[in-house]
Amino acid sequence: MDNLLYVGKSIPRKDGPAKATGRAEYTVDISLPGTLTGKVLRSPYPHARILSIDTSKAQRLYGVKAVVTAADSLKIKHGFVETPRYPADQYPIAVDRVRHVGEEIVGVAAVDEYTADEALSLIEIEYEELPAVFDVEEAMKPGAPEIHPSHEMVNEPYRNIGGKTETSWGDVEEAFAQASLVREDKFYCQMRTHAYMEPQATVAYFDYSGKLNVWTSSMGVFLKRAKLARTLGLPFGSVRVLKTYVGGAFGGKIDLFNHEYIAALLSMKCHQPVKIVYSREEVFKGSRHAQPLIVELKTGVAKDGTIMAQKIRTINDSGAYRGSGVVVIFLAWGFAMAPYRVPNMQYEGYSVYTNNLVHCPQRGHGAPKMRLAAESQLDMIAEELGIDPVEIRLKNARRPGEPLPNGDSVKNFGLIECINEVAKKTDFRNKYGAGKREREKDSKIKHGIGMGVTSYFGGSLVYPNSSSVIVKLNDDASVSLITGAVDLGQGAETVLSQIVAEELGVPIEDVQVNAADTETTTVDIGSWISGLTWVTGNAAKKAAAHAMKKLLDCAAEKLNEDVNDLAVRNKEIFVKHSPDKKITYAQAVAASIAKNKGDSVIGEGHFRTMKEEPTHPSLATAKGRWTENYSCYAQVAEVEVDTETGVVKVLKATTAHDCGFPFNPMLVEGQIDGQVSMGQGQILSEELRIEKGCIINPSFLEYKIPCALDMVDTAYIDVITEKYSRDHHFNIKEVGEGYVSGTVAAVANAVYDATGVRLKQTPFSPDRVLDGLEQIQKKIGK
Amino acid sequence: MKKSQKQLISLKINGQEYELAIHPNRTLLEVLREDLTLTGTKEGCDDGVCGTCTVLLNGAPIRSCLYLAIEAQGKEVTTIEGLAEGERLHPIQQAFIEHGAIQCGYCSPGMILTAKALLDKNPTPTEQDIKLAIAGNFCRCTGYNKIVTAIKAGCQSAEGGQ
Repeated sequence: MDNLLYVGKSIPRKDGPAKATGRAEYTVDISLPGTLTGKVLRSPYPHARILSIDTSKAQRLYGVKAVVTAADSLKIKHGFVETPRYPADQYPIAVDRVRHVGEEIVGVAAVDEYTADEALSLIEIEYEELPAVFDVEEAMKPGAPEIHPSHEMVNEPYRNIGGKTETSWGDVEEAFAQASLVREDKFYCQMRTHAYMEPQATVAYFDYSGKLNVWTSSMGVFLKRAKLARTLGLPFGSVRVLKTYVGGAFGGKIDLFNHEYIAALLSMKCHQPVKIVYSREEVFKGSRHAQPLIVELKTGVAKDGTIMAQKIRTINDSGAYRGSGVVVIFLAWGFAMAPYRVPNMQYEGYSVYTNNLVHCPQRGHGAPKMRLAAESQLDMIAEELGIDPVEIRLKNARRPGEPLPNGDSVKNFGLIECINEVAKKTDFRNKYGAGKREREKDSKIKHGIGMGVTSYFGGSLVYPNSSSVIVKLNDDASVSLITGAVDLGQGAETVLSQIVAEELGVPIEDVQVNAADTETTTVDIGSWISGLTWVTGNAAKKAAAHAMKKLLDCAAEKLNEDVNDLAVRNKEIFVKHSPDKKITYAQAVAASIAKNKGDSVIGEGHFRTMKEEPTHPSLATAKGRWTENYSCYAQVAEVEVDTETGVVKVLKATTAHDCGFPFNPMLVEGQIDGQVSMGQGQILSEELRIEKGCIINPSFLEYKIPCALDMVDTAYIDVITEKYSRDHHFNIKEVGEGYVSGTVAAVANAVYDATGVRLKQTPFSPDRVLDGLEQIQKKIGK
Repeated sequence: MKKSQKQLISLKINGQEYELAIHPNRTLLEVLREDLTLTGTKEGCDDGVCGTCTVLLNGAPIRSCLYLAIEAQGKEVTTIEGLAEGERLHPIQQAFIEHGAIQCGYCSPGMILTAKALLDKNPTPTEQDIKLAIAGNFCRCTGYNKIVTAIKAGCQSAEGGQ
């Protein structure tokens, strides 16, 4: 094993000082001379035909510099998914029809906010209201209002089907017939939002050279560029998306958003910079939120708890456009099949249009819902069979090297160890059932413990599929790292610097990062699908190694020694058998430049998951490989429930996880803590409430995210199954998304352990808990 | 909306006096960010809920999105820009960096100032004191654990520095 200097160490984040002093520039802080305020007029109706738009009064208002409607656009649609089966389905500015409250119809740019607001009030739009539907199961019924025609490949007589995933293996019915226990349950998972602290913001400036410059709070600049260029009809090279700091995203800043397009269109019309910044209310009422999901789960098990078959049906409300709906129904299947062996499965998932706001990924993207359903039901099965929750999980957990139905392998999968370790550390077997024992007692506070298991994939093939990195060695041997990666708080720039510093043997302070600019940096997979450290990290490793090889070759020549006899230390290259024979990195750089007649020392590296796979797996049939890396974890939550108020408090969350190896343990812990907190909010308090397609709790007063008083005591156990060495690429796994799921499931099971209340609708708000307790009382009463 | 008459005010921010002509309905947050380009102070909700826009007024944390700039006259305003001395970070800023209390960083200026106000008043807070003090400062990234750790460490290093 290499003696590592930086990788595997808790290096403080590189952008720490900029952020701690308020000097980090977020999009909202970008200010160019002559910047105008942009505002968007949104639909007040959930479903309507636009009969006419009159912007003449707004255009005449003093201080208004541009007004845009669909008439100014090329009417090119965009979508989170754009494939032959699922073509883009949303205009970037409404054309003739609106399908949700808040849909963007007109953009204005004015000298200040007052003028822009006044201009919006002067716009006259005539609508013809159309029937609307908001409940996903209602929207599927044959008589429901049609939002979009059902997908042509879907044969059932359902309406508004945006897409379907269908897959199966084995013989499910035969297995159910042989099973000693079959359970059927239906879970409803609520609509939530990301609650990134930085509201959406975009600055667009179409300059006089014909280039569109865009600063926008995003998770990947290359995806934004591609979608902006395409919808605006500009060459990719004429659209530059530049780096800004990102104030949290959690999945909510991936897609092209219509306000980004509108800011660009406004600037193209008036040739001045246009800044659109959402208010928090606008984020709630007009932005994209997380995917809700209904999960119908039927599981058959043998007497000993071995899963024999599962039949799963999921229904997703994608909102007024497809958004990521067809992805979440595909992923939900994967989150069902990855952690446990399921020898027979039949899966169908429907993504359904409604007149709600459009839905997009949120951290875990389907995993929290699927794992909530699967883990809750597994505990119910275990109880019926008289098996403890740890045993049933150990029995079904996949072992290292097991093949998955999509052709992937879980490879070095540490799940068994995770389950054992977390059970041991939390004294699970002794604590479990305390709720039941306490139930007889009179105390109003009940305690419970529960476990949740998840497996998550990382770095799949989605545009732009791969990452490239350049490492430049400057004349003094300081290092410039050039990457298209976006650091949205997870620490991408820090981790990439660790890798480059490690490969080159230079202090991490010597590595300057130049990132996230589509014009001056290299293509990057993006800060999503949980693959940045792996994909971009390996590209960075290769780039650094490439540069280092040039230095070593040159040093070998200079020192007149074989390159294999050289070693490096403190930015010096020396001969192993006579350490006094050495040259500095700076001397080697100079020698390389001299030898190559002026060519500077540049290393390049490229990396892509499963290079041999042509594209991403099929969203329709789930066929095709996902990834080479599956992380896994077992999480335990300990809760107390106040049976008088119904309030659940999560006291402790313990996570045993296999993320390969922790590249930067402090950052890894930060990811886990953040996910525990987000999971806690998801299962206990967060819910978007909707009345006729309009969000009626559009503020943090009415949408409760966890605060410091809700802080959960966390503990971690690393199950390390990978290593980092200098001579080949590394295989680390996901650490930024899936842990929400285990937390959600563990809390649900702990609430049951404490109270006997098994809830199948999230969040577990006090009223639902009390209702559950009341029903138990009624049963006992009889 | 009809604009009101501008008023001449003077503000003392981070020890520096500023004279400004502003509309009286403008918040301290707006004036800090737009007129004085002290953009370290961030807006998170404009409702006074999330605490992102926290600044110190005579040493006590306030929501600058709910506070009119004209009311800050005659008071000492401290923003995040006023904490470090040149390149030398305040011990709390240092502790936030060293203990992983910063992720996306958007809540950090408000969080750090709230922590400073707490430690100035109570140099040896309990964990519960810390949680209570920052209960009105939302963070979506960290789950608060490392922030609490950093504030504990910050009070120790502040003591050590004295």
